[in-house]
Order: sequence, then structure tokens, then C-alpha cells
Amino acid sequence: MTAPHDRREVGPPAGGPTATHCPYCALQCAQTLTPRASGPLPVEVTARDFPTNRGGMCQKGWSAAEVLAAPDRLTTPLVRRDGVLGPATWEEALDLVHARLAAVQAEHGHDAVAVFGGGGLTNEKAYTLGKFARVVLRTPYIDYNGRFCMSSAAAAANRTLGVDRGLAFPLADLGGAGAVLLVGSNPAETMPPLVQHLAGARSRGGLLVVDPRRSATAGLTADGAGLHLAPVPGTDLVVLLALLHVLVDEGLTDTAYLAERASGWDEVRASVSRWWPERAEQVCGVPAPALRRTARLLAAAAPAHGGPGAYVLTGRGMEQSTQGTDTVSAAIALAVALGLPGRPGSGYGPLTGQGNGQGGREHGLKSDQLPGYRLVADPDARRHVAAVWGVDPADLPGPGVPAVELLRRLGTEGGPRALLVHGANLAVSAPHVGAVRAALGRLDLLVVSDVVPSETARLADVVLPVAQWAEEEGTMTTLEGRVVRRRRAVPPPGDARDELWVLRELARRFGHDLGDDPRAVFDELARASTGGKADYSGMSYDRLDAGEALYWPCPADRPEGTPRLFADGFATPDGRARLVAVDHRGPSDDVTPERPVHLVTGRVLHHYQSGAQTRRVAELVDAAPEPLAELSPLLAADLGVADGDRVRITSRRGALEVRARVTDTVRPDTVFLPFHWADAHSANLLTTDATDPVSGMPEFKVCAVSLARAALPAVPVPHEVPA
Amino acid sequence: MTRVVVVGHGMVGSRLAEDLVAADPAAEVTVLGREPVPAYNRVLLSGVVAGTTAPDLLALAGPPHPRLRVLTGVAATDVDRAGRLVTDDRGGHHPYDRLVLATGSAARVPAIQGVADDRGLVPGVFVLKDLADATGIVAAAAGARRAVVLGAGVLGVEVATGLAARGLAVRVVHLGERLMDRQLGWEASQVAVASLRRLGIAAHTGASVAGVVTHRGRLSAVRFSDGLEAAADLFVMCTGTVPETVLARRAGLACDRGVLVGEDLATDDPHVFAVGDCAQPPAGATGLVAQGWEQARHLVAMLSARDSVAGMPTHDVVRVKASGLSVVSMGVSGDFDREDPRYRVLSLKDPERGRFVEVVVAGSRLAGATCLGDAEVGATLSALYTRATTVPDDPAMLMVRALAGGGAAPAREPADLADADRVCTCNSVSAGAVRAAVRSGCASAAEVSAATRASTGCGDCRSVVEALVATTAIPADPTADHEEPPVPDLVRSES
Repeated sequence: MTAPHDRREVGPPAGGPTATHCPYCALQCAQTLTPRASGPLPVEVTARDFPTNRGGMCQKGWSAAEVLAAPDRLTTPLVRRDGVLGPATWEEALDLVHARLAAVQAEHGHDAVAVFGGGGLTNEKAYTLGKFARVVLRTPYIDYNGRFCMSSAAAAANRTLGVDRGLAFPLADLGGAGAVLLVGSNPAETMPPLVQHLAGARSRGGLLVVDPRRSATAGLTADGAGLHLAPVPGTDLVVLLALLHVLVDEGLTDTAYLAERASGWDEVRASVSRWWPERAEQVCGVPAPALRRTARLLAAAAPAHGGPGAYVLTGRGMEQSTQGTDTVSAAIALAVALGLPGRPGSGYGPLTGQGNGQGGREHGLKSDQLPGYRLVADPDARRHVAAVWGVDPADLPGPGVPAVELLRRLGTEGGPRALLVHGANLAVSAPHVGAVRAALGRLDLLVVSDVVPSETARLADVVLPVAQWAEEEGTMTTLEGRVVRRRRAVPPPGDARDELWVLRELARRFGHDLGDDPRAVFDELARASTGGKADYSGMSYDRLDAGEALYWPCPADRPEGTPRLFADGFATPDGRARLVAVDHRGPSDDVTPERPVHLVTGRVLHHYQSGAQTRRVAELVDAAPEPLAELSPLLAADLGVADGDRVRITSRRGALEVRARVTDTVRPDTVFLPFHWADAHSANLLTTDATDPVSGMPEFKVCAVSLARAALPAVPVPHEVPA
Repeated sequence: MTRVVVVGHGMVGSRLAEDLVAADPAAEVTVLGREPVPAYNRVLLSGVVAGTTAPDLLALAGPPHPRLRVLTGVAATDVDRAGRLVTDDRGGHHPYDRLVLATGSAARVPAIQGVADDRGLVPGVFVLKDLADATGIVAAAAGARRAVVLGAGVLGVEVATGLAARGLAVRVVHLGERLMDRQLGWEASQVAVASLRRLGIAAHTGASVAGVVTHRGRLSAVRFSDGLEAAADLFVMCTGTVPETVLARRAGLACDRGVLVGEDLATDDPHVFAVGDCAQPPAGATGLVAQGWEQARHLVAMLSARDSVAGMPTHDVVRVKASGLSVVSMGVSGDFDREDPRYRVLSLKDPERGRFVEVVVAGSRLAGATCLGDAEVGATLSALYTRATTVPDDPAMLMVRALAGGGAAPAREPADLADADRVCTCNSVSAGAVRAAVRSGCASAAEVSAATRASTGCGDCRSVVEALVATTAIPADPTADHEEPPVPDLVRSES
């Protein structure tokens, strides 16, 4: 048996246009890159039809080629001498990195070196980086910025469904649904082409959006297309518990499904009895009638009630919380109570954020995981992976610590003293970023591999210029668990090299042999994943290049792959979903009379993550030149702030000044601030690094702040575009 | 091991017991529950009466736990405080290191002629305190046409609307001059009376019931204090509760209205605690489950010595659960001095639509509020109140709906879009850029998309682009306009 073919995914003829995917988010919109003989940009980008994006692409994708030709593109290694970063040869830079890493480890042990990866790295790079950390450096200290992205969703899916693949179904399945509940997700801005898949639910009045803001996505519920619930920030869990309560109360659960396919329902049912809508309303601020209506709409669309199907989808808005894992658990319980997962045309899933956030954790960037979504602590997993790597299982380090804890330990007594960063911009993207910058400053050695001088690269002792997106070969695993090919259209500029080469060269200096051919690395990754949850062993570049649509698990003996999970049961020992009863604890840094406003952070359409890429694209900077604090007319009036005025926002951890955007799309008790900007404009100066006890996810999405009109008159804001 | 005995398996006792074994690995907990069923959600009993909640779906009790023993249908009869021993009505003995009384409260049965005989309440007459009461009312309502509810507090109003929803003709008789007099002031009460009338419920304030008339041992009519009689098949008395203190008094613990406890929830015996409706803390009892649960959380933290919990924030938000009638009140409400200089009181009265909103502001905080007929405003007010966040300079802004996150922005007709207005957010394309593309020769939405990238993202603006293509005037001589080629438009700001 083979998987369906997608002729547009077929590998390119030599010298012609290149079929690849967008460098940004997990939707992985299909693109065609056509090399340009002249002009400022090396390729022309056009959108390509593909099931996730259906030919659509947002402005970030259309303008992606500009990042290839960023004026400050790193084209040569940089080494800090006398406090200043200056050009060096690869030989000098790599020798230096090797010598200093070796010295640190000789003096302080293997654990004195840490590795931080990124969810934008290809599967091949993620796999090799994990292997490098565990085999070459032999350090347990590896984690990645996907911890800031998907960890709560992953933890909840693993404990309840037994597996975490993002969506358990192809995105196009959403089209037939009668209702889609989106909790804390704003795809209309974060992955716009996805909105096409919501058309069916909207036409049936079933788009249900839970977001403290009337986001672009929440706006799609207007005109009878659905409902928007605007809870108090940090109370999404209460909304979900109340929805479950209504299902129980009104006899709307799928009792046959629950009896056959779930365990723990009695505990969940008893726990949600405490959250009748009128009580929930007092905590979450969503009127009880709206909660009831939402539950009924979802239930009416569920197959048990003869509906066309329903989906529960979650996003970072509810996951980036100290109760994120529990909140996702409640979302899964809601889907299970309605009998959705594993039913055709229905389901539960989180919308993955980063381009390869999924593949990154499947293949070894997470502190507790080995390739194939195996656990570092599992002796069988260690044996299997060690055999593929040709090392003694006993030599593999144990589980490390999640990202925030790793960052906290940097440069402390007994903590790592050297850090390698790949595909992450910690000095902007980490929570409580003031403390993170201080931690980076405590290091003996900071090595950053990047394509541009990101804010983190500028702090480094050694900067290694690497290839990106259109300059490399590899694979990415999309938000729907499908593996797609990233293909090289142009060579990297100057002396920039592929990260696989960089890791191979560093490993060689340590006396280890790592491959740097992406195809060979993928084959090794596939072997390492054999028998794991994320089994890629039936996949190959040949199959992907032939246009096969491959979703994991895709073991060698079931090479057709698995577009839809859970049809016959969950990935738990007894095949049942293990529901977990949870309760609302509330945000770690809740509002007080001194800090009476909730700060919510998030994205704007025109920028991506830390902005290292998009703040270098002129048309995106033009569209969104600076962070704007969104506040309601009511709050603005109280502060004496007009649209465009500067406001000072202060949390327990820091303060910043930005311009205000006065809008009625945000609750009067809330201010929204996008996190794509750096330095004095970094939203993460304000956010808390308190984490979820299960997932290690930091609470990016809510903290308490006070606001005041900025004392100084407005001054022009530098566009932060390098000259 | 610490042996903890909890008397009472209600909403508070069950939560305390479950949370305690979870929090304290040294705790061994025995719960004695007088009712024949495990803990259930008493707050939702009015929903059972209304038929919106199935009685078998109220269960609160969690899964079994090896250190938690729950005995249902077993009542504690005596406490030997010197011997630290509880005796039950089955003759069982339960030694304790700590005893927690969570005995709750009982429905107050007013002294009304004829409501009870030596077998208890006469058929057709009910209180609503436990599951048996609720199922009894439901059974009686099935064959009933007329009901009288005595007492228009929160429960009385919920029962009245519930019975009305079942199709009964309902009268509510209330001794006070205002409905829900603890929560509602005069004006709010008037609006509530009118709202009940719209639901087919007649409300009599300042009235009481003198007696009931029975026929063959069954209720047939209710006699009001003014001498009038009304035929009735069902009479439900919702006249408040009294803390259940019999056991505590018998054990010699200090009691007033309830069992007297300190801030630490301890009685005058340091080994005995009381929580929930049976307890009378220094600041008084609200009768709301939120207070009992907060006390349970507090006591669990203290007994498990995990951490000391400073102060108990108790919220006194009261939300009526009645279909067709939205009532929320909190803090300073009901009959208070509206001339009190500490308060700024604003109100909005709209009896025609059954709406009344009153907010009481002290400084920059919401000290209290009453909201009828607008669930959304009510929800916003309670979220604001429970978090003590800042009230807007003009508190009148709190009284209208637009606050709760805003309504949908009015959609503008494509023809009315200014050139600077953004049409395609995904690709930052303005109406002007689309019009320019049309003028320079793009004849269809697809061609405009190809030239400007408009609607190549989420595709949501395609209909707007189509309308702009249709409404944009094309210059007579297309070649005259060619100095302005279509380019992706870069709009600088939203303005």
C-alpha cells in the first residue's frame, strides 16, 4: 500500500523552479522558488497549491526572500576579541569553540555545557543537534524553544491520548465540521490561510472562539458565523470546565463513546460539577447563557447527536500558562465527552506554532526525549537509540531540565557555563527576559549559530553563520503530522554553512563522526525512530520527492502512514483515553490593586516570533513598524491616553514604554502587547518565568501590570532595521 | 498518620476530605454522611426542580482513595471530646486526632398552621434542601397546576421560575417588601416583580402565609395572612436555613447561630473545626458555597501544614440561576444607605426591558453592584468585583454592554471604503491599491489578487475585492492610466 500522491510535492527538475515550503509557521504553506538572474533578491517566491494553504500565503511568506538578502546577513564566522565581535575563519572559530568547550568540560564536567535548539530547525538538524549534545558533549542539558510553544499541549496529549502529534487528522477535515471551538488561538493572524478551512463551520454558525480579545479570528464569528467568548485572561480553564458541566447537566455527552473509549470520566464528571455556569461566570466573566449556548452548539455538531462533526482546537493563548497542561487536559476531556477524537470528521488538536515545533521534539531537542518520541528515562529507548548511534546506553546522559530551568541554571553554581544556541533568539523570546540576559552574561562561553545578528547573537562570544530555508535540504513535520520536504533553491551567501556541516566539524574535533548529508541523516533518523511513537522508518526522501503524502507513524511495515490517528483506539496501554480531572488555580501573577491590569502577549500578522527574520523585511516593518499596546477606550480614558500616545507598562519584573493603540477589541481590564520586538521594546521584559509544573511551559500569556501615560513626549521610534 | 473525622458529606465536607487526602500523605480521613447518597451538588437542586438538571448528574464525589473512607447514610450522634471519639447512629465509633464539622444547614420551616403533622410535612408541602426534597417536588409537580412558593430569596425565585417553566401557575409570597431583599433595593425589586410577571409568576410582597388547607390529608389551598385563600397543589417553603448545630451543642461546643469558629476555623476546642454552613466565623457566614469551599481550602492547607494561607478572600456574588431571569448582585447592594458619602451610586432603570443596573463605587473600586436583565453586564461586573480591579473614571461605562469585549465592528460597504482602508489584512493591501489595480486593467478578482496579493492569505476579503472590482470606475482610456502600475500596497498604519 502507498500513501496518496500529491503531484505538486514532487521533487523539482534540476535548474528549474524549486518546490518547497515557507520558512515560518507550522502550516508550512507550499511555495515555489524561482531563481532570479538579477535584482536584489536571489529568488522569487510564489504560493503553491497544497492541502494546508490551498494556494494562499500571508505577507510573511510572500516577502520571505528578503530574509535571504538581509543587509546584515551573517556571511562569515565572528569571534569576540577584546570585547568586540570580528570576522574569523571557520577553522579559527571552530577550533576556538572546541578548545573552550573542552576546557569547560575538563574543569567542570560534561554537564557544564548546554545546548538550546529551535522549533524552526529541520528534522535533520534537530536530530543531529540532539545527537551532538548526547553523544559528543554527553550533556543532559538540551532543550529548545518549542518548550515555549507546544509543551503544555504535548504533555496533556501524552498523558491523556498517549501520543502527541499536533493535529491527529489532516487540516482539510475541518471543512465538513458543524462546529469548531478555538481556544486561545488566533489563526487569522498567526496562520491566515488556515482560515479557509473554517469556512464550513462559519457557514453553519459554528465557529466558536474563546479569546480575551476580539482577535481577527474572533471577528470571524460575526454575522451569525458563530460565537466569541471573551474570558478574563488566565481563566480559559474555567470556560472549559463550565462547558463540560453543561454537557453533563444537559445530558449531551456521548455516553456510549465514554463507556467504550475513555477512563476517568467519573472523576472528571464529579470535578466539573463544581463549575456550574453561574459560578464560572464570576471567575471567567463569560455570561452563563453564552457558556450554555456554546456547549449546545458544540454538542449539536457532534456525531452522537447526528451533527456533521465538531473539533476542539487549542492554541498558545491557553497553553502558555502555569495551568496550561491542565487546561489542555480539560479541552481534551471536552472533546472526548462529545465523542470526537478518532471519529471521522471530528477531533481534538492543538495548532502547532513553529515551522518544525513538532519534529523538533519528536527527534531529540526536548530535555527528556530521544528520537522517535522516545523517553530518555526509558531503558529500552536508550538501548535502541544507543545502538543506532553506536554508543553504550550507559553513556547516554539522563533527562535534562526544561528550558526555563535550564536558562535559570546558566552560570550558577553547578550549572552550565557554556551554551550553544541554534535557531533561537533567547534574548527576545524567553520569559522574564531581563533575567535571561543576565544569565547569558554569566556564561564563560556563548556560541550562537544564526543567519542574522539576532539580539542573542550580538551577546555571543562566537557567532557561526548558517544556511536557512531556501538554502538547505531537509524535512519539516507540519502541524498535521505530515512530513514535507524543504529544498534548496540557492546556495548560502558568503561563508555561511549548513548547520549539519557545522555540527559535523565540531564533532570531528571531539573525535566523533557525524554525518552532514541531509538524506543520509534522515535515513538514520528514520532508523532511530523505528518502533518509537513518532515512527518515520517507512519514510524516505525518495518517497517524499515522489509526492507521497506521509503522516507519522509511518513504520516500515505500514508504509502508507497514518493521516488519522485514534480510529481504533488511543495510544495508551488499554487503548482508552485517560481523562484527568483538573481544577482552576488561576494565574501565578494575578492582578492586584497595585497592578490592576492583565497583560496578554501575542503575535501580529506581519511578524514572526522574536522578529529576527521579519524585522528585516521592509514591507513587514512598514506594515507593523513597532509594538503597539492595545487597550480599550475605557482604560485609555482613565489613563488620559489617546491613540498613538506612549504608555509605560510595569510588571513586577520590568517596565517598558510603547505607543498605545486604542481599540474596543480588548477587554477594559486587559492590555495586549505583541512580543516580536527587542531590547527596550521586548514584551518579555514584563512576562513571568513561572512555569507549568507538568510541562515546564512559562506563563507568557498573563501577568499583572500597571499602566501610566509615559512622562516624556512622543519620540520617533527607530525601526530597528539594520542600515 | 493523622486521623481526621469529617461529619457531613455535603459540598464542603466532601471537598475538604478529598483535598485533604490529596494534600497530606499522613491524613487518614473518615467522612460520615447522613444522607443515603454520596455528596452531590446542592446548589443545582433548583435546576432539578426546573427540569434543566438531571438528578443523577449532580454527583460531586471523586474517585475512591485508599486513605479516604466515606460512610453514607450514617449520622454522627455524639462526640466525646475528652476521648476524641465520634459515635454514629449505627453504633460505630470513630476515633480522631482532628474533627471537622461540616454538617451544613437545615431548611427553616416557619410556624404555619397545617404544614406539618406528626409524620412531617403534609403531602404537597415541601422545603428544598436535599435531593429527596427536589425529586419530591418534581414528582408532585407532574400532576399539579398551581403552586405557591413562600419566600422570594434567591432559592424561592429559582424554584418559582423553575415551576413556571414546568407550566404551573405560580405565586410567590414574600414577607419582605422587596423581592430578594438581601440582594435587591426598591427599584431593582420592582423590575424583578415585573420580570417575574412576564414569566407568568405573580409576586406578593409584604405578605405571608397563615396556614394551609388540606383535603383528604393532601394540600388543597394556601391561606394568606390577609385571609384570602388560593387553591394550590404544591406549596414550597423557601424561607432560609438554620445552621445544623445539634451535634456541636450536644458536644458542648460554643455556638451562637452557628458553631463559633475563629479565623483559623477552630472551635473553642483546638481539635475540632467547623466549615461551611454550620460554621459561624468572625466575619459572619454568607450562606454561599464559595465561602465554604474557601474555608475547606484554607483548612486543608493548615491541617496538611503545607503552608499558611493568609486571609480568605470571600466573594459574596449572588447569581440567580433561573431561565428567563438574570439577576446578579454583589457587595453593597439591597437596602443600603444610598446617601452614604463613601459611595458613589449610579443606576440605570429600564423596566420595559426588565433591565436594572446599579453600581456602587468606593474610591476606584467597585464596592457593590446589582444587575437585572443583562447577563453580559452582570458577568463583567462580577469579574471586575471579584478581582477588585479599577473602575473607570466614569462608572456609567460599566452599565452598558459594549464593555464586555465589544460588539462586532460595523461592516462597511465596499463602496464606502476609503482608499487608505485595509482590505486584505494578510497582505496589507488597501482599497486604494485594489482600485488602482482595476484601473490599470485587472478585470477580475483573480487578476487583482495576482497583481496585489489581495485575498491570497486567508481569502476572507475575496468578496470585498470582487465588489471593488465591480464598483471601481474604469477610465475611458485604459492606456491613459498606465503610469501607476499595481504594486503590493504598503499601508503605514491603520488610520
